[in-house]
Amino acid sequence: MSNLFDFKLVFTQLPDLIRFLPITLELALLSMLLGLALGLVLAIVKIRQVKILKSVATFFISAIRGTPILVQLYIAYFGIPMFFKWLNQSYGTDFHVAKIDGFIYAVVALGINQSAYNAEFIRAAILSVGEGQIEAASALGMNYFQTLFRIIVPEAITVALPSLGNSLISVIKGTSLAFTCAVVEMTAQGKIIGGRTYRYFEVYVSLAIIYWVITVVIEKGLSFVEKKLAIPEQVANYIPLEPGTEKVKAKQISKYKVGKEVENDRDRRIIQEVS
Amino acid sequence: MIEIEGLSKRYHDNIVLEDIELKIQEGEVIGIIGPSGTGKSTLLRCIDQLEIPDKGIISLDGIRVDLSKKNKKEIIKIRQNTGMVFQKFNLFEKKTALENVMEGLIVVKKMKKEEARKLALEELEKVGMLSFANHYPKHMSGGQQQRVAIARALAMKPRLLLLDEPTSALDPELVGEVLEVIKEIAAKGFTMLLVSHEMNFVKSVSNRVIFLDKGHIVEDGTPKEVFEHPKNQRTKDFFSKMSILNQPEYVI
Repeated sequence: MSNLFDFKLVFTQLPDLIRFLPITLELALLSMLLGLALGLVLAIVKIRQVKILKSVATFFISAIRGTPILVQLYIAYFGIPMFFKWLNQSYGTDFHVAKIDGFIYAVVALGINQSAYNAEFIRAAILSVGEGQIEAASALGMNYFQTLFRIIVPEAITVALPSLGNSLISVIKGTSLAFTCAVVEMTAQGKIIGGRTYRYFEVYVSLAIIYWVITVVIEKGLSFVEKKLAIPEQVANYIPLEPGTEKVKAKQISKYKVGKEVENDRDRRIIQEVS
Repeated sequence: MIEIEGLSKRYHDNIVLEDIELKIQEGEVIGIIGPSGTGKSTLLRCIDQLEIPDKGIISLDGIRVDLSKKNKKEIIKIRQNTGMVFQKFNLFEKKTALENVMEGLIVVKKMKKEEARKLALEELEKVGMLSFANHYPKHMSGGQQQRVAIARALAMKPRLLLLDEPTSALDPELVGEVLEVIKEIAAKGFTMLLVSHEMNFVKSVSNRVIFLDKGHIVEDGTPKEVFEHPKNQRTKDFFSKMSILNQPEYVI
């Protein structure tokens, strides 16, 4: 019973797993980007009530949210090659299905899965922006897409950020299933190591540590971005400056815009001078 | 000259506006008054197609647009020639006062950033909000927000300025500063349509007053004619109710 749990191994095999971290992250980020882009399109289709497309979007979101990600990965892995085979047979095209990397299938499946969830987050965030601001933008003569990207999105993003952060975290953990598409990422490598040493438990503990650390880093990053995006609590009054000196002085003052203490005498003098 | 012909709008069975005909001369400041729910705001919103009327045509600068049809290009032209000031200010929350004013100049008028910035600062100075250029709407009082909103509308150099109860959401102390700004721009010769419940203000600032009742223009004339010698019974009733409200509660 002396060696029931090899505590040391949990840490010594970390480097061997972390070697595959880039694949995990790449997979997660690409899926997230696909999920965001597709999610935005779905959200706009639902908000603008585009005929026909709206029902397609509703059906799509329902189907994706209603099936497990593992099943979706399998469907992508077996379905996409079958689709190309059918295409080759019926139209005489010549796609080399075997050459497509499993990585692509995984990105497509994870991205589509994310898009269904993101669509609803994005839709809720866009709807949270007051009708008044949208009317004001139209009254200025802006068209829908100008209003969307210049007025609605900057405000909606603060609302959507926490839920989209959740999405990112869940897609990172979702990548652990990519082995089904023959992608060797971190968890897959863990399984391989476990198969070699029969120390499965230790490997999974190591993996748990790595995933958790990644998640903590993302959480910290998100709260940083959230603070950055928030409207500052207080700002300095605008002071018109002499032309020419404007750029230099504005640079020095801008350091102190958000109610910071003035650090040195030179800056204090400049600020007094302009005010 | 700006012409509105046959403007009609109904919500289900409720007729809000019926065959409104309005000719607006250059430089006219038209005060629109009347009881609540008679379509004063709807009239302004229909001109800007924020509300789509059942029928109605606007002609402005040789452009003739059927307001009841969604014609994106033409309506954007109309919107570029009109400025709107809302009851609830509707400033862009995530933008500073300066960015609020610059937005239309950059996006719609395709101005260069530096140029837009210069013009926006000038406009903010005119409404006395220059020192708040860096501030976000949440840092400002209602009156200050409304002044920025007026600067935003004026920066676009509109041919027609639509003011939809610009002081209704403000407390009495802040009403004054906004009215002062409106008075100044009226004196500069901007053409304006002003919906307001501040009767004394309408009387002093406008050179033509329209009384709307149940979707019809029942009175149209100089402030003196409308306020002092109303022809229509409905208008007389309205003013007499107003004056009862203005009477002191006790007379000893």
